[in-house]
Amino acid sequence: MKNYRQIFREKILPRLQKPTRYLGNEINAVIKEDKPLQIKVALAFPDLYEIGMSHLGLKILYHLINENDDWSAERVFMPAPDLEAILQEENFPLCSLETVTPLSLFDLVGFTLQYELSYATVLQMLSLGGIPLTAEERNEGDPLVVGGGPCAFNPEPLVDFFDFFILGDAEELLPQVLEILQKHKALPRKEKLLRLAAVKGVYVPAFYEAQYGKQGEYLGTVAKTEAVPKTVQRAVVANLDQAFYPIDFIVPYGSIVHDRLVLEIFRGCTRGCRFCQAGIIYRPVRERKPETLRELALKMVRATGYEEIALSSLSSGDYSAIDQLVRGLNKDLAREGVSLSLPSLRLDSFATGLAEQVQRVRKSGLTFAPEAGTQRLRDVINKNITEEDLLIAVKDAFANGWTAVKLYFMMGLPTETDEDLLGIADLAKKVVSAYKEVGGKGKPRVTVSVSIFVPKPHTPFQWFGQITEEEILRRQSVLKKALRIPGVQFQYHDAQTSILEAALARGGRELAPVIKRAAELGCRLDGWEEHFSYSAWQQAFGEVGLELAAAAQKQFAADEPLPWDHLDTGVSKRYLWREYQKALASEATEDCRQGCLGCGMALLLKEEEEKGVCSNASLD
Amino acid sequence: MRVWIKFAMDGALRYLSHLDTMRMWQRAVRRAALPVAYSQGFNPHPKMSFAMALPVGVISHAQYLDINFTKDIRAADLENLQQVLPAGLTLLGWRIVPAKIPPLMSLVRAACWEQKITDAEAVEKKVAQLLSRTEIMVERKGKKGLKMINLRPFIYDLTIKGQEQKLIMLLAVGNIGSAKPEEVLSLLHLSPNNSLCQTEILLGVGEALQSPLAVCLREKEVSLNAKANYYQLRQ
Repeated sequence: MKNYRQIFREKILPRLQKPTRYLGNEINAVIKEDKPLQIKVALAFPDLYEIGMSHLGLKILYHLINENDDWSAERVFMPAPDLEAILQEENFPLCSLETVTPLSLFDLVGFTLQYELSYATVLQMLSLGGIPLTAEERNEGDPLVVGGGPCAFNPEPLVDFFDFFILGDAEELLPQVLEILQKHKALPRKEKLLRLAAVKGVYVPAFYEAQYGKQGEYLGTVAKTEAVPKTVQRAVVANLDQAFYPIDFIVPYGSIVHDRLVLEIFRGCTRGCRFCQAGIIYRPVRERKPETLRELALKMVRATGYEEIALSSLSSGDYSAIDQLVRGLNKDLAREGVSLSLPSLRLDSFATGLAEQVQRVRKSGLTFAPEAGTQRLRDVINKNITEEDLLIAVKDAFANGWTAVKLYFMMGLPTETDEDLLGIADLAKKVVSAYKEVGGKGKPRVTVSVSIFVPKPHTPFQWFGQITEEEILRRQSVLKKALRIPGVQFQYHDAQTSILEAALARGGRELAPVIKRAAELGCRLDGWEEHFSYSAWQQAFGEVGLELAAAAQKQFAADEPLPWDHLDTGVSKRYLWREYQKALASEATEDCRQGCLGCGMALLLKEEEEKGVCSNASLD
Repeated sequence: MRVWIKFAMDGALRYLSHLDTMRMWQRAVRRAALPVAYSQGFNPHPKMSFAMALPVGVISHAQYLDINFTKDIRAADLENLQQVLPAGLTLLGWRIVPAKIPPLMSLVRAACWEQKITDAEAVEKKVAQLLSRTEIMVERKGKKGLKMINLRPFIYDLTIKGQEQKLIMLLAVGNIGSAKPEEVLSLLHLSPNNSLCQTEILLGVGEALQSPLAVCLREKEVSLNAKANYYQLRQ
């Protein structure tokens, strides 16, 4: 075999702008070079090293797989443009970091699908790695290609390029998959896939067929064989407290986006924000115990030497023993010279003084997410916080020495009017006044960041079509004008990026040729402004006979089959529709911890021993 | 307790920037649970610094860390430290130094570099020519744009080890002026290659240059008033 490692290290590495991304021997990287291995997995993240290395899921899976002596997991990221050009020029394949092995020589290549704008990058990595693009073209010697993560809940636009997907928590599911692959190593691909398809949480798209009516209207996606389930159910780790968690995070040499330890305190969120996909696909709420977390935190610090640890969840203030946890961790970590941060605090939990406890040292900036400018619209999206909550929180922050706050909003939400947009400016003004009221010196720095709403599958807003580009631009100009307020800085997102995201998020199998064409046209790293080309994507849609804008704006009817109906998160379509109707009536829904709302999760969990907060659930 | 630690950075670690190296050390001492001293203030950071910043891409067999601990540490502690360092980083030696000696980086006067060459004889001729000159004007990028400086006083010595096919450069470092290895190589019509290595740094002792681990350190021996004599370095 060609000595890829030697060539890469000697001939390619010295020519790169940031070689430390590609060294592969960071502290805690696992290099199983000389060991006999049964299954070799490449964990691929379709973005740059600095982004991928900040992702918790990758760290969990990497160490989980490497715990097993028969298996190895190696990392691979999208190369930066300088390396990409060299690989193409030298005809050198995309390789894993640890042992510099070409992607095509792994048994399994797993892609994390975190956001739709990474789809073209997935295809670029496959082709740079020497793997045939479509599952159909792959031969027995080629790796199986698997996808997981949030976008796997509607992977239909990508089905041509993947052999299978895993839906839900991978901590228990992935080892099951690898055991099957190890046991049946000698079987043909199709036989392997048939066995995998029997595992809860595994979706093999080739065994399902999208059906269309006489007018070409979509009728649904159905199983082609009785050997696979009609709907694929999500895998759920019932006991998160006892689930695997890595302590030995890889410590990068250069700085990455989130360069700190991450401690996941719980998974799931039942606040029920209607735009939020994570709130559906990670149900129910499952917590780790405070003592488990304290023990993990100390071990993690010892194993990595990191100077900061962040508590992670969808809404950390909702952790049932947050006060006790933060106090305990602060005590342990202060001794080690390690600081604690709590990035996902809802502002209604801020008033408890939590943030102050956590961010004792650096009072640089605080972020709040009211999401919408008026109470009416906040009720529509079920973001159950009031203007009063916000003002109490910012006053508290200003009184405690903070001078900068960042407020996150969305625009283009269902039922939104200009009044709601002006409400954003109104809130911003009140935040500036709040600073003066508490006797702040000079001017505060209030940043108002307004993103464009992208409807996502498996949410109450999945039926809703995104507003047009023209309308996005008009509303942005309304905001621009209204937010000319001293002390306020307005940040907004690029319309076209959000339109593409919307088009890909709720698309079906008809989009596969579009993505293939976009990749051919050079699309990649679309989340990066400097690489994004809207016109290339428009061209790709056009050549396939589709329209990008129409895909983004598609409004689904109540009884219309959705491309992801055969994939079951546990939350029923009926529940989501009910929430959508309540939204249109501006009616809020309480957190289900106040009383079961019959979302359907209890059904999915009926065979599990533990159901988290779902244990007392009633059924719809 | 204050310690100077000598270490080598080889192989792929040559690509670490000064900042990357600093961050790596800060995390390594925490992994080793060594009682490193922290600065006071809002954003405490470990009290450690390096003798000099190394250009990215160059290996070193003579990097020095100047570090303060809150307690006395033992040789065994440093052996533990080696266990938590990345492959390619080797501890070479250490010494305890008096707390009041100025930062190591302010004492460095010269560094020794070597690079493999292919045609020793030709290079030797160029070296002889270069050293015979009294003035070698080169362009340098400064904050105020390009300026010309005379490099000659900062080139202390250039020698060829013909058998080993090596060029050895002893070049000035510090606020009196410095010569960079890539500047000297360029004057010899060479460019830095994979083998370029920093082999030692040297502190000024009167007219002599001494290795940090070998030099005799006596604080306040001469005079407190004369800044230059605040410390005296002796053989």
